[in-house]
Amino acid sequence: MRKLAIVVSVLVCTLAWPQQLAAQSQPQANAAEQQAFQREFDDVCSRTQGAMSLTRDELKDLVRRCDALAPKLAKLDQSQRKVYKRRLEQCRGLYAYVLDTRKDSDQ
Amino acid sequence: MVVQAQQLYVQAVPPEDQFGDVTLDGHVTPNNGPVVFNHWLHRAKFTCRVCHVDIGFAMGANRTGIDAKTNQEGYYCGACHDGKRQFGNVTAFASCQPDGVAKANFTCSRCHASSKTERKYTYKEFTAKLPKARYGIDWMAAENTGFIKPIDVIDGISIPKERIKNRAELSIHPQVQWFTGIHFSHELHSKWNSCELCHPEIFPTQKDAPANISMYQIANGRFCGACHVKVAFPVNGCNQCHAQGPMWVAGPGWVM
Amino acid sequence: MKKYFLLPLTLILAFSFQAPAQPALNQPGVSQPGVKQRRPLPPEYGRVIIGQDAENAQLSPVVFEHWIHRSMFTCRVCHVDIGFAMKPNGSGITPADIQRGYYCGACHNGRMLHGDRSVFSGCSLRETAADQERCERCHSYGKNVKSEYNFARFSANLPKERFGNGIDWEKAELQGLIQSTDFVDGISVKRSSLAVQKDFALSPKVESMPDIIFSHKKHTVWNGCELCHPEIFFGVKKGTTKYTMVDIFQGRSCGACHSTVAFPTMDCQRCHSKPVQQ
Repeated sequence: MRKLAIVVSVLVCTLAWPQQLAAQSQPQANAAEQQAFQREFDDVCSRTQGAMSLTRDELKDLVRRCDALAPKLAKLDQSQRKVYKRRLEQCRGLYAYVLDTRKDSDQ
Repeated sequence: MVVQAQQLYVQAVPPEDQFGDVTLDGHVTPNNGPVVFNHWLHRAKFTCRVCHVDIGFAMGANRTGIDAKTNQEGYYCGACHDGKRQFGNVTAFASCQPDGVAKANFTCSRCHASSKTERKYTYKEFTAKLPKARYGIDWMAAENTGFIKPIDVIDGISIPKERIKNRAELSIHPQVQWFTGIHFSHELHSKWNSCELCHPEIFPTQKDAPANISMYQIANGRFCGACHVKVAFPVNGCNQCHAQGPMWVAGPGWVM
Repeated sequence: MKKYFLLPLTLILAFSFQAPAQPALNQPGVSQPGVKQRRPLPPEYGRVIIGQDAENAQLSPVVFEHWIHRSMFTCRVCHVDIGFAMKPNGSGITPADIQRGYYCGACHNGRMLHGDRSVFSGCSLRETAADQERCERCHSYGKNVKSEYNFARFSANLPKERFGNGIDWEKAELQGLIQSTDFVDGISVKRSSLAVQKDFALSPKVESMPDIIFSHKKHTVWNGCELCHPEIFFGVKKGTTKYTMVDIFQGRSCGACHSTVAFPTMDCQRCHSKPVQQ
């Protein structure tokens, strides 16, 4: 019984530990990496206005590039991460949405 | 059992000259007592819509958040009571003026109960010629016969819009089988209220909403009771809505 | 036997403890049906109270007024480019974010110019009384702080409309009385121009209500595409998603904006404007 209690306590401690620690333990991006992220983001998400006139392949490519940017968010500082997570969500969301509307068409 | 039920549900109506009075006592000072707002005086001159939609009064004592500052800024009472606005040959006195001016004109006591209260209009004189209902004034007859001409648009406050052709007259079936149905006139209500007064706050825009309203809620000032307990003809008179309701349902305080 | 469960039980309780929910200060569509509630006054409409659970108990929650900001910027600048959520406390803004130049700090950094003045910086260190006064320009909930911009003066010459702020923002922009900037240097992404979107009619469920003419064009000029799609409007095929007025009054679909910030849906005729074809 005592052993069980100890095991449960240890389990609870490890499972309930906040996940932020894990994120914080990642090394932050240096200035060059941040600039690269910014450039790629600006390039990918600058085409939202014209999304309706993009082809399916172009849209798929943009969604893929958004997905490629997502893991790089973890390396940004806390504020940037929050802001760009939201912006990326909206940007990727729109491309995926427009792609969805083309599901039944050829383009 | 029925009499007991009535005492649980519906309050007795006050004397006719006090019906529709709203006591606002949120900002009482030694010099300025509570404000007693007379509905009868205002509804003879304006539709319900002007105050409760255009100006934006809530429907409950102390619920709107009126104070001297809002009146001075031209909101709520101050929207008309600014000392300049004219209705016919009457200029609406200015409400809640800064101290110095107020003392000189004593306009505070036109609204705020005080030792100096001198109401310009009394219920008896004002309503002497208006057609009477079993209880209080028959406002519909008053308007139909031309005794009153309620204003529906006030310059600078109202922005008139084209009326939406409202839904047909509704039949509402009460939950209790031994009461007859109500013929609800959308036409008559929207004449004074327009859509926004009732929808969606008082009556949510759901098709089956009337089926979920109980007399208990109404008697407590919700739904129909938002108006028909304290201002419009009270629900104490069953047969005004339930046109063929059972006549044996009566008791002290009920108007039949 | 019992005492061996005390420790794990305590730990479980400790990790699952959450602060009690504070009563929300803004919540569209939540009120007791059947009564007529107070309507926000024109200067109050669009007011957002942020930061009730602020870590710093010395500062009051922030009072954000939409009317002053929307006279200067499109919705898109804040809600897409800067990344503000459209719910109070939805962005999780911290003083550090603002000091680093994000969220409010994107403009409120002491450097951005508005006309010939610089925009005051937010969330800097409080060292002097002047600093404290600057904090209270935003952290003013419950305090009697005199605002720099007076609503009455601001709105005096703007075209009027019913409800909400009482201002016809669209007409104000058409007449050049306000200039809504859509691009902020260093924040906004340079975008290709937007193709003109078509307006379309929406038919209400209740037959006697006039049709709604939805102006896609007007909405995209202020919002762009990603503000609404897919988060607020996720339907991919026109006409397949049904929104009810109950949804809208509770802050979903059109109600995301048109319950607390854009003209309120209480003004039926603003949307239901097309006469029903007999």
